[in-house]
Amino acid sequence: MKETVGITALVPPELIYACGKRPMDVNNVVPESSLSPGSKLCAWTAIWRDMILNGGLDIDSLVVVAGGDCHNALVDGQKVELSGMPTHYFFYPFDRDTDYLRSQLDKLSKFLGGIKDERMFSLIRDLKSKGRALDELRVNDRVRASDVFSALISFSDLAGDPDAFEKTLDSVPETDVEYSSRVALIGVPPIYPDFHETAESFGLHVVYDELPYEFLRLYGSDLNSLARSYSDYSFAGPIKNRVELIKDELQRRRVDGVIHYTQFACHHTLEDEIFREHLDYPILTVQGDLPRPSPEQLKLRLEAFAEMLEVKP
Amino acid sequence: MNIGLDVGSTTAKVVHMEDGEVIFSKVVPSQRWIELIDDEQGEKNIVSTGYFRKKVPHFAAITEITTASLGARYHDPDVQVIVDIGGQDTKVIDLRNNTFVINDKCSAGTGAFLELAAHYFDIPVGSLGELHSQATKGAQINNTCGVFAISEMISQLVGGFSMEEVIYGLHQAFALRIAQMVPPADTVMLIGGTVQNTGIVDAVNNMLDSKIEVPGAPQLVNALGAALYMERLNDSR
Ligand code: SF4
Repeated sequence: MKETVGITALVPPELIYACGKRPMDVNNVVPESSLSPGSKLCAWTAIWRDMILNGGLDIDSLVVVAGGDCHNALVDGQKVELSGMPTHYFFYPFDRDTDYLRSQLDKLSKFLGGIKDERMFSLIRDLKSKGRALDELRVNDRVRASDVFSALISFSDLAGDPDAFEKTLDSVPETDVEYSSRVALIGVPPIYPDFHETAESFGLHVVYDELPYEFLRLYGSDLNSLARSYSDYSFAGPIKNRVELIKDELQRRRVDGVIHYTQFACHHTLEDEIFREHLDYPILTVQGDLPRPSPEQLKLRLEAFAEMLEVKP
Repeated sequence: MNIGLDVGSTTAKVVHMEDGEVIFSKVVPSQRWIELIDDEQGEKNIVSTGYFRKKVPHFAAITEITTASLGARYHDPDVQVIVDIGGQDTKVIDLRNNTFVINDKCSAGTGAFLELAAHYFDIPVGSLGELHSQATKGAQINNTCGVFAISEMISQLVGGFSMEEVIYGLHQAFALRIAQMVPPADTVMLIGGTVQNTGIVDAVNNMLDSKIEVPGAPQLVNALGAALYMERLNDSR
């Protein structure tokens, strides 16, 4: 059985597989969790932290994405390390410095025991192009956003098994999607497991999921090309680059409105004003805290937003 | 006939329209919404809105964001921002870019906050506006949390402020909370039953640089918007 490496945010999964290990994005279990952690700011980090500390997550080591991403994860990751878990800290450069990222990838590869199977780079690159094709299908209204989202969000770890994951990708059903408006979902992913289904129930077709698209957009066939690609990871860099990237996608995907999901106690919430100033679309901002089925407050907002876009009162 | 039925958390309202004119309206406590339905009319001409919109008879059910936008524009086609102060939440709608925010996480800035204060003084909530007008200055209330504002209110009473001054201060705290949600705009329309309290209107007016508008029968604007939407649906049938 391959060793399992927990990751707290985007860490090139191709490198982890190439080092002969299997990644597990510890966030992917959070939306289905019913834990209410006692000590918490952001529920994402608090829940994976408690799950690891209570032995509820079967990992052998942890890679914490600290630099350029999340300070809550940095602290909660250290709590996990203090409990005895082998832990490594991975830092993205803010200024897209490829040399810096290359040195980070070297350190990570050393922590993971070195590269053993280079073929994994191209295998995962091919899977990512398959993922992008699926993403295009939903832009062209050929697959449901809820199906696409659950596939794309798993590109951070390829569900721990690239072969099985490929079959999952192949089994996403094609259908004619009916909707009243096209929306983009920007920000961190919603903690509500049924968010996309809820949006669909009000006629909103989510044609862009910002973060999962990053998982598809970045790839490489060796450490140098990985460093070049991942230094462009938009969540870790200057927001003006992120805004430009989002603008291009909103236009390309012909969206009618934008939903900005924010998470309680997350610094990304502060970005809301920047998006409102720079994105020329109707914007709905919503906030989640604990993982639960979509609450009534969220449903009311989505329903009202769908009406705003459709009825144009 | 086009009927708008707004069943909210505290009151239920109905508006009947014909040829773009309001021909009938009525307000009852929420639990008695059934009195607003005419069996002969059936539900084919009703658009419902409000908290219980999906629980009452309707041809279509829409949110108060849409009804408020339609209803407010009926009163002033050029209005830019709407503040709908409800019993349990407050909604701010910016019609210039089709965006809205809803405060439904805390009682501050909602009708429930004023209910709490009126309950403490053992006075009807409808008398708050009159008492406000009898004060020339307000006791400072800093807390925007409804529950803590009450304990702050008590301290101010102990400190020698009159009931009128405390109510004046309470309205200022309320208005501040509302003002934080309102974007800069030329015209802001206040709607919802709470707006019948002139103390609130006065406090919001002092707080914002915008021109404040209060339509006649502000509590009926959502029912009116629902009736207008029914009119749209009938026109397109
Ligand atoms: S939602 Fe924000 S605070 Fe929570 S883990 Fe993600 S980046 Fe960190």
